[in-house]
Amino acid sequence: MAKRLSGLQKEVLHLYRASVRVAHTKPKQNQPHFINYIREEFGKHKDLPKRDFTTIEHLLRVGNKRINLYSSPELKDIN
Amino acid sequence: MFKSVFRPCAAVAKNARMTLPVRNSILMPQMMVSPIRFYSATTDRNEITQRVVDVIKAFDRTNASADISSKTLFHKDLGLDSLDTVELLVAIEEDFDIQFPDKVADELKGVEDTVEWIANHPESE
Repeated sequence: MAKRLSGLQKEVLHLYRASVRVAHTKPKQNQPHFINYIREEFGKHKDLPKRDFTTIEHLLRVGNKRINLYSSPELKDIN
Repeated sequence: MFKSVFRPCAAVAKNARMTLPVRNSILMPQMMVSPIRFYSATTDRNEITQRVVDVIKAFDRTNASADISSKTLFHKDLGLDSLDTVELLVAIEEDFDIQFPDKVADELKGVEDTVEWIANHPESE
């Protein structure tokens, strides 16, 4: 991470951080499921070009919506 | 940060003054002491470093877990990418029961930075 990150890259990291924090609010034994899910979802777009702003912005919105959805305390596990 | 510490104290002090005017002088010094104790409890850097290292060792993504010192950098020495670093920092947050603000967390690159920040933020334990 020696290089400077762009604003958009930081936003992605913030989304990732928020996601991991949500995962930590879930029951202990299910936390790995959430972490794996987060890694998978972010990993799907790992090779997206840095300049593809519209796609990244779209994915950020999708991600934020999904965090809201998964933050609900009734949701305890994921597959 | 400090407001939240002092405000309840002030409220208690006010109550104490109204209900127990005589013991006022006895109560006040105690209230002044407690925030100071609150500070010194966690500034032991070696202890914080040890705890951070333990969290890193427990983290499943690290590739060079054998020798972690205070100079270890997450990206260079542990081979973590930016997302792994985020995950590791959240794990550290959990352990110390704190939250790095986004801006701070973006700048934390190694064990030393992290310990320094925790040592300067006494609400952690």
